[in-house]
Amino acid sequence: MISTRPTRWSGLDTILLLVVLGCFAYLAHRVHSGLDYQWNWQVIPQYLLRYDPEAGWVPNLLLRGLLTTIRLSFWSLLLALPIGLVCGLLRTSLHLFNRLLGGTYVTLLRNLPPLVLVFIFYFFISDQLLPLLHLGERLNAAPGWLQTLLGRTIAGPDQIEPFLAAVMTLALFEGAYIGEIVRAGINGIESGQWEAARALGMRRWQLLRHVVLPQAFQRMIPPLAGQAISTIKDSAIVSVISIQELTFQGMELMAATYLTFEVWMTVTLLYFLLTYSCSWLAGRLEVRLRKAYN
Amino acid sequence: MKIRCLLALTLVLSLLATPLLASEVRQSLTEESTLAQVVAKNKLRIGFSTFVPWAMKDKTGGYTGFEIEVAKQLAEDMGVEAEFVPTKWSGIIPALLTGKFDVIIGGMGITPARNLKVNFSDPYEFSGMSIVANSKLAAGRSSLEAFNDPALTIVARIGTTAATAAKKHLPKAQLRLFDDEGQALQEVLNNRAAAMVSSQPFPEFQTLKYADKLYLPLAGKTFTKEPIGFAIRKGDVDFLNFLNNWVKFRNADGWLQEHYEYWFTTQDWKARIE
Repeated sequence: MISTRPTRWSGLDTILLLVVLGCFAYLAHRVHSGLDYQWNWQVIPQYLLRYDPEAGWVPNLLLRGLLTTIRLSFWSLLLALPIGLVCGLLRTSLHLFNRLLGGTYVTLLRNLPPLVLVFIFYFFISDQLLPLLHLGERLNAAPGWLQTLLGRTIAGPDQIEPFLAAVMTLALFEGAYIGEIVRAGINGIESGQWEAARALGMRRWQLLRHVVLPQAFQRMIPPLAGQAISTIKDSAIVSVISIQELTFQGMELMAATYLTFEVWMTVTLLYFLLTYSCSWLAGRLEVRLRKAYN
Repeated sequence: MKIRCLLALTLVLSLLATPLLASEVRQSLTEESTLAQVVAKNKLRIGFSTFVPWAMKDKTGGYTGFEIEVAKQLAEDMGVEAEFVPTKWSGIIPALLTGKFDVIIGGMGITPARNLKVNFSDPYEFSGMSIVANSKLAAGRSSLEAFNDPALTIVARIGTTAATAAKKHLPKAQLRLFDDEGQALQEVLNNRAAAMVSSQPFPEFQTLKYADKLYLPLAGKTFTKEPIGFAIRKGDVDFLNFLNNWVKFRNADGWLQEHYEYWFTTQDWKARIE
């Protein structure tokens, strides 16, 4: 529950705020005096947006990286939600086989470090599957409007295969966690609800669809929002397989310009803006759902 | 029940099918040389990683540097387009082996250990290792032996020949490795490490930039000489032959030397980056 009581501001709050601000000011002073570093902030904006004599203002390295991160997170989450739903249903199934299947998947993926998983998946599994589709060549042969559309929404012809490998890896990984959220949501519905639905003569599938899942979904919103934000943050991991998302672009830029701190701070801020807007949206959704149901 | 039978069937079938598919892909790969494929696709895919001034992102979001010019010229001489695939250095050899690109043109030093995994062309340039040191922590040390000291921390970029050279020539010093050169240098600037091992011209450029904090203990001289070659997958004689002869050809007409001098002895290219 998000509290709806009116907030009060007292003298103690003012003192605490001043103490916190003082700590930050001291830290900033320490960094400024103790760190041997030539700050050079004025070159950073051009890596976000640059002026092209022909095309006008175009996004440069860091913004392009941010857009890739957004695309990557969006598709991964879109894939992870059905994977998670199926997995949650398998884990709460009446059949042992289904439970074992879902259980194996969750256990495997939750107990491997994502970094290792990304590497294994990229170099071994996606390598055996994706080249068979010849996506890159097919895209190159596709009409121009389709290329532009896919380039804006997914990735260009030269990046499509690694991008899809990254999306699949992230989706499978996040799907395992979402599966557990779904399972918790389903198991959290009171037994009275199940019994009432059965007393009305509902089949299991009807019971899930009309009684259990709608109620479970409302309870799943906060952890699901958290998982969505985790997906955005975890997308940084695929920089190790050279997907050109925000972290990768930032690292390349640091390697070329040695502006280590300025670039890391800019990247951090961009991630924060992205994840914070997601948190805010999730909060709105929760309030709206509560009003709809109560 | 039906659904589960279907599921079980698909599982079994997909397990049976994977080795078939894998062997098919491998067969078609060994049948055709990279050279023929590159010409057929009209595209040479080049793997590289950011190293100043070998390969860098410029301020317009494109790539620039000595290696980039070499790669563009090579593609032009083949009559195909160059497609650049920026890759993290730590995973660049696996990426080549699994066919993410056709050739590594990234200032890769030829070493026996690497040569067991990939084939190298004749060297198209030579680089050498040097040291850049912190004026406070390493004061008065002016030879390589002086840095072979357990009290000193030495830094280098992970997976590079700089890291290998540091291990070999400075076995007593404590070695710490970082993912990129900027981070490693920051350790020296922050007084957490005494010196950094890196190929020229990096030490020299950084000493010019931070003249008050850094110095060149070896007066800019290098303590190793390393051949740099193109790396390709094993078992491809045609492509290797082409690359070797390209190097001979471009050495003979002075193109390589001229471009090397521009990137490694001047800083005129700085304006392209910032």
